[in-house]
Amino acid sequence: MRPDIDEALRYLGVRGDAPASLRAQAEALAQELTARVTPRFIWRPLPLRRTGDALLLGSMPLPGQSAARMLADCQQAVILLCTLGAEFDLWLRRLQARDLSAAAVLDALGSAYVEAACDAAEVEIGSRYPTMYLTDRFSPGYGDLPLPLQPALHAAAEARRIGLTCTDTHLMLPQKSVSALIGLADKPQAARIRGCAHCRISKTCPYRKAGTTCAF
Amino acid sequence: MKLIFLDGAMGTMLQRAGLKPGALPELLALTDPEMLTRVHRQYVEAGSDVIYANTFGANRRKLARLGHTVDEVVCAAITAARKACEGTDARVALDVGPLGELLEPLGTLPFESAVDMFAELVRAGVKASADLIAIETMTDLQEARAALIAAKENSDLPVIVTMSFEESGRTFTGCTPASMAAMLTGLGADAIGVNCSLGPAQLLPVLREILAHTHLPVIAKPNAGLPDPVDGHYDLTPADFAEAMAQAVEAGVSVVGGCCGTSPDYIRTLQERVGGLTPGERSITHRSIVCTAARAVTVDGVRVIGERINPTGKKRFQQALLENDLDYIADVAIQQEDAGADVLDVNVGYPGVDETVMLPRVVRKLQEVTNLPLMLDSTNADAIEAGLRVYCGKAAVNSVNGDGKVLTRILPIVKKYGASVVGLTLDEKGLPKTADERVTIARRILDAALAHGMQPADLWIDCLTLTVSAQQEQARETLNAISRVRTELGLQTVLGVSNISFGLPNRPLMAQTFLVQAMAAGLTLPILNPCQKDMMDAIAAHRVLCGEDAGCAAYVARFAGTPAAPAISTPASPAAGMTLAAAICRGLKADAARLAKDALASVPPLTLVEEHLIPALDKVGEDYEAGRAFLPQLLSAAQAAQAVFGVIQEKLASGGESVRKGKVIIATVKGDIHDIGKNIVRTVMSNYGYEILDLGRDVPPETIVEAAVRENVRLVGLSALMTTTLPAMEETVRQLQQLDNPPAIMLGGAVVTEDYAANLGCRYARDAKASVEIARSILG
Repeated sequence: MRPDIDEALRYLGVRGDAPASLRAQAEALAQELTARVTPRFIWRPLPLRRTGDALLLGSMPLPGQSAARMLADCQQAVILLCTLGAEFDLWLRRLQARDLSAAAVLDALGSAYVEAACDAAEVEIGSRYPTMYLTDRFSPGYGDLPLPLQPALHAAAEARRIGLTCTDTHLMLPQKSVSALIGLADKPQAARIRGCAHCRISKTCPYRKAGTTCAF
Repeated sequence: MKLIFLDGAMGTMLQRAGLKPGALPELLALTDPEMLTRVHRQYVEAGSDVIYANTFGANRRKLARLGHTVDEVVCAAITAARKACEGTDARVALDVGPLGELLEPLGTLPFESAVDMFAELVRAGVKASADLIAIETMTDLQEARAALIAAKENSDLPVIVTMSFEESGRTFTGCTPASMAAMLTGLGADAIGVNCSLGPAQLLPVLREILAHTHLPVIAKPNAGLPDPVDGHYDLTPADFAEAMAQAVEAGVSVVGGCCGTSPDYIRTLQERVGGLTPGERSITHRSIVCTAARAVTVDGVRVIGERINPTGKKRFQQALLENDLDYIADVAIQQEDAGADVLDVNVGYPGVDETVMLPRVVRKLQEVTNLPLMLDSTNADAIEAGLRVYCGKAAVNSVNGDGKVLTRILPIVKKYGASVVGLTLDEKGLPKTADERVTIARRILDAALAHGMQPADLWIDCLTLTVSAQQEQARETLNAISRVRTELGLQTVLGVSNISFGLPNRPLMAQTFLVQAMAAGLTLPILNPCQKDMMDAIAAHRVLCGEDAGCAAYVARFAGTPAAPAISTPASPAAGMTLAAAICRGLKADAARLAKDALASVPPLTLVEEHLIPALDKVGEDYEAGRAFLPQLLSAAQAAQAVFGVIQEKLASGGESVRKGKVIIATVKGDIHDIGKNIVRTVMSNYGYEILDLGRDVPPETIVEAAVRENVRLVGLSALMTTTLPAMEETVRQLQQLDNPPAIMLGGAVVTEDYAANLGCRYARDAKASVEIARSILG
């Protein structure tokens, strides 16, 4: 598991080719990052039930259109929690005091790394359900899936086992963390989130203007 | 020594009995206490000597949402547990788990709020007649500290503490077993160990490490292996679990039980397998250790204490203290860490500075930027206590002396917080002239420390250096005293060495020679400036000669490839023809600083800023906006500019004009703690000459308003990353705009848009460069 350097460079605003020195710095830091930090994830499948208009994951209501649309074909969904952990936050804080420029690069690499860890978790989930199809993963804050769902997701998947907490303002701590839902369906699932066709800024996107994509 | 059996999992048993995932199990004490009693009873019958009441998450934060009080739930839970013990000798522990919210600096919960929440739980447990307190599943050493301090301050019950470690051998927050053991032992826990996270076999290396670092009984309460995510089933059978636990007992563990996935079957099987064993013999040596969560420094050779965090004779440092410039102090710490210091002395005593406020503030700041253990250097008992209270780990205190009044004032504080302490060999009568008298005082301090329940390993004796040009015979007395304190009392020795050379030419040579002689006499903890290379070189050589540097590896690594002489190094000259502007643009910190120093000989500071520094930053800023340069390059240039400002500040500290423009407040709003964006804005703006009052993160509106009024600030920058913290941003804007003479406000952060800012009557700061433009338009 390692962060995608190009993705991290894109987070830093690089379009097209990055300066060689910046790429070299990112690669060196990525190496240190993978040596020092092991992302942790935990996932838990729960049954989906539909009563009237309400969609329930286990005993937890999933309000809104987004969840209903994403999970339309599913009888089960997985809660996935993933974090780089508190040691990353401490490191980033220390690096900010020493070298803010390097810290900005590490910050971007951390974002790419936690996404890579989610991808690895999805592979693991897929391997446990070889006959099922996974939906795109989506998180509280996506569409109309409310952020205040966060504490319930954390409790149901036992976030504390990976050292993940949630503040009263529904911020996840440690900072490089992802909580997501992934539906399990028995027929192939169309991409609903990933790709330019589903992106709300596709008309103004600077990457598309430059003839490329953000690769998400 | 007889083994003590704890219980197994409660949560696992409750889930089997039908508890829904995500439901708060603590409420069962009120809704179904019989179910709890049944589970507890099964553990008592399986052989548990101690059962944990169902109070793991019974803290105010979790219960308040459900409309119940801590007292109510704890009382019911302990009653249910007590009932299960009827007719047996089994004891009931108040179970204290993590609060579910991260403490500062990882999160926003202040240390004292955590102590307060734990204290409420402890008092409820005492009231309900718990037999002991079991703090468990901690991953943050500072939270474990808060819980243990609350337990000690609010009860006389025995306290056992277990933390959860990962396969890396550290907790989630990077705490090592050695640090955990050193700190909890010092704070007065009655037994310590591990619980949860992994199975017994994976935790064995961690247990061995803890066993080596404490004289206390050690606890193992691991999981039944690892869970399967699909069905939640743990992979060890009771027999496998007991087999692996037998190894832990053979290693010396004397308190055993189970955590997630275990059941009464596991405890019964464990009883059968290890009940007849005697815990393995432990060779316990009391080591001299100071630590932070991630780094334990064992004094088993020469360890360097950095002396630079001290205002004495340092104008720039004094200015930083008076201006509350913690970043400068943090920088001094980082330089010493990079130069090889093992421990940092922290002295903030200066006229006009309230040490009781400043010392804890500086301790918190330093613990954010460095892993090095700290030595709190003050004569003010209140300041020492305030500093020790917030310090995470095991600190040292500098100092006590042979004066009985000082000893009775300071030693109880040192003991309470489990610190080490420096004892100066002087007393109310002054500094004795002979080695004999100094050893006598050292002995007196040792007796006092022992009488306060301290270990000799935690007393470090300073035999004191006098200036050799004034009192030549005293150098021998100091060296003799060191040698005798080591051999006769077996204590660690501390010595500030640089005073030796006052008034002499070639001071570095005298100081280095004295250091070498003192180390030969038995000095283990020299206090010096680690940035002086020749002193650190001498220590590197000493480590070879005394055998500590095995195979001369560190020595070779330090010196390989460097020419032997001359000893005086000349600074490398910057590349020919490089201008200050070019050095800044390319982010070359050292070159920029050197060129600025040269330039200041002929150019006034303000001209340097206006005509060289700012145009260079503007150039990088333009490239950034045009997509020719990127954020890290913008920041590298800002850091080079910062180095130039450092040079200017150094010059201005001795009096002179100011190059500062206007004041700007920046803050991340209440509830939000993502602050790298705000920190980037701070760095870039301050290098344009603006005086930045950075109020930090998670800042309440009132604090921002108060600072804006007090400092008469004309521009306030607010940052928010999440939609859930936008209301806090709006509230802050509202309060600021209600002022008689409201400041301009700029808003930034991931969720802020131009329209959003405009609707609130604020400016939109897209990035750091845009913030500078806004400041220019308002402050010039």
